[in-house]
Amino acid sequence: MFPKHFQTFEQYNGQMDKVLAREIKQARNIQMKLLNAPKPEIDSGEITGVSIPARLIGGDYFDFHIMPNGKIRIVIGDVMGKGIPAAMLMILTRGVFRSSTEHQASPSKTLKVMNDAMYDDLRRLGSFVTLLCADWDPEAKTLTYASAGHNLPVVIDRNQNNKKLPSIKGVMLGGLPQASYQEETISLYEEDVIFFYTDGIIEAQNKHGELFKMDRLILSLQQYQDYEAKEIEEAIQEEIRKFTNGVIQKDDITMVILKIVNN
Amino acid sequence: MLEYKMEKADDNCNVLLNGDLDIDSTELVNNELVPKLKYETHIYLNFEDVNFVDSSGMGLLIQLVNQLKDEKQLIRIVNVKEDILEVFDLLQIPEIIGENVIVK
Repeated sequence: MFPKHFQTFEQYNGQMDKVLAREIKQARNIQMKLLNAPKPEIDSGEITGVSIPARLIGGDYFDFHIMPNGKIRIVIGDVMGKGIPAAMLMILTRGVFRSSTEHQASPSKTLKVMNDAMYDDLRRLGSFVTLLCADWDPEAKTLTYASAGHNLPVVIDRNQNNKKLPSIKGVMLGGLPQASYQEETISLYEEDVIFFYTDGIIEAQNKHGELFKMDRLILSLQQYQDYEAKEIEEAIQEEIRKFTNGVIQKDDITMVILKIVNN
Repeated sequence: MLEYKMEKADDNCNVLLNGDLDIDSTELVNNELVPKLKYETHIYLNFEDVNFVDSSGMGLLIQLVNQLKDEKQLIRIVNVKEDILEVFDLLQIPEIIGENVIVK
């Protein structure tokens, strides 16, 4: 059945398609505005980030927050799934992150608070969120990080060395009730590039079904280490574009780049 | 694209998966595979020919295992490739679905 003021089912269907297209476009605008909020401007570092959804809207998430204690909180995450369902959960994640961050807890405690808040909903929906939360302290020149099943960032130093980060354990949000999270702190030095990312980058595929992979990402970051953060962001996107060479993007791609500069 | 083949022997149901377990596998897993497994008591998911599992595939797998375990069905995942096992470990999948579910 369709409403009486439509003459035919096709007419009704056509109208619904237009409504749906408009609403998806509006949802995309909302998401893009939330993701592209102003980036913090800090004397001792450059920070930038971009998210490219595989469909019109996506489930990847990144955010920055300047804490009252002067630290910069960086978060990057990936909601399992794609499209509208993932985008709805991404907005939920953003809200929980923003309210958790108000308490100024450490990255590990923030992830615990977030998992406690979201676990029941995620379990009921059969969904999960991987998240990496890191505090950059420009004064102490340190990065403290905790992970909920998310890839650790890649750190490339001024000599193009890939610095290995201490590994940490932490299950994805929605994975286990009352999960706790480990955290580690590393020192940062001038010209270090810290590259946070979602798996859409290393799992980008070319027409032969080959993946972009971690090795290619590290090589690219070493190659562009002396670029500014925004230029690195553009260069990595270009590397992925060249590699995939027109193959349809299967997963959302998100990166956040922090570059330590001399203040 | 994911395909599957089911083979039954006594109480055991062996499901041979072939292809990528990703977002495009959702309908196949939820609408075809899950109903077919409803009355099976011992299920073995064979990952020998699974080359790639993305985050959506992980979600599907966790959902599937949890559903089967809720119904008291025995589920084991066998012959998982080394690189996929590494991702499972990173995401602590064994802790979520049960340490003995993935047979190494």
